[in-house]
Amino acid sequence: MTASKKGVVKAEEGEIYDVELSEDLLKANQRLADENKRLLHENGAKAIDIMGAIGSGKTSLIEKLVQLLKNRYKIAVFKGDLTTTIDAELIARHGVETVAINTGKECHLDANLVKKALQRLNLKKINLLLIENVGNLICPAEFPLGSDKRLVVVSVTEGPYMIVKHPFIFMDADVVAVNKTDLAKAMDVDVKKLEQDVKTINPKTKVVATNARTGEGIEAIAKALGL
Amino acid sequence: MTIGKLTFLGLEQVRFAYDALTKDTIMEGSKLIITEQEGMVKCGTCGYQGDFKYADDPLYHVPVPTLKCPKCGSTVNIAQGKECTITNIKMMI
Repeated sequence: MTASKKGVVKAEEGEIYDVELSEDLLKANQRLADENKRLLHENGAKAIDIMGAIGSGKTSLIEKLVQLLKNRYKIAVFKGDLTTTIDAELIARHGVETVAINTGKECHLDANLVKKALQRLNLKKINLLLIENVGNLICPAEFPLGSDKRLVVVSVTEGPYMIVKHPFIFMDADVVAVNKTDLAKAMDVDVKKLEQDVKTINPKTKVVATNARTGEGIEAIAKALGL
Repeated sequence: MTIGKLTFLGLEQVRFAYDALTKDTIMEGSKLIITEQEGMVKCGTCGYQGDFKYADDPLYHVPVPTLKCPKCGSTVNIAQGKECTITNIKMMI
């Protein structure tokens, strides 16, 4: 019997359609992140995602990391910002390949933007990718990019409660840099207390006190990241 | 849809966005049903499974969830609460 003889199944008027989806919307980003990670690993490269609030010192810390590691690794840097290539230029002057990712309006990078930026790189020529996320302590935690480790930079100038007010991003952090320690006294912020706050939320996270301007603590950051 | 309590999605905002998006479309006036999913952790060391341990400092007003195992103190993994799932769509023809 041909299909047409069986008739076509049609909905009657007033009939209720129930479409089971069970599609996780955030998994779509996770899938792309997994693809990014696979692509990087196939080319022998690892990636670090650097997150933190606006003005916490992410770019300065990356500059110091690049200076420290550029003879040991072939480094590329992705620099996420809403707009401008100001920070990307700062990093590029250290002689590493830098791709500016301008999100336009989005407050975080996502795996798709990183995927597109990866297409701009010759992956054979790098083995370490540093990804600076958009300055934000909230949304980036929701969007994995495909990095091997996540570093969160928090500075004493953000005050004493920055960590307990944003517990979720610290749950995702492998390493936390407490930056601008030279200003701790002026800000009346206890660096040890910040470290304790991180450990309370996520006991396995490594915490390093840094001063990205002078380079203090940068070697300890590299070590904590396994670099 | 199901939204995990550990996502950064606010139910009120999602409802507001849904109404704004469906206005003047065939879906205007349709009902959005959201089920909230509790957060849950699992401990790889002692096998604990359940609610977070909270850091309950009176200074913070709201208890802060932590990844410390309430039973053995080692680090737990998040097992549930990060979902954002469209479970199903019902429509009348």
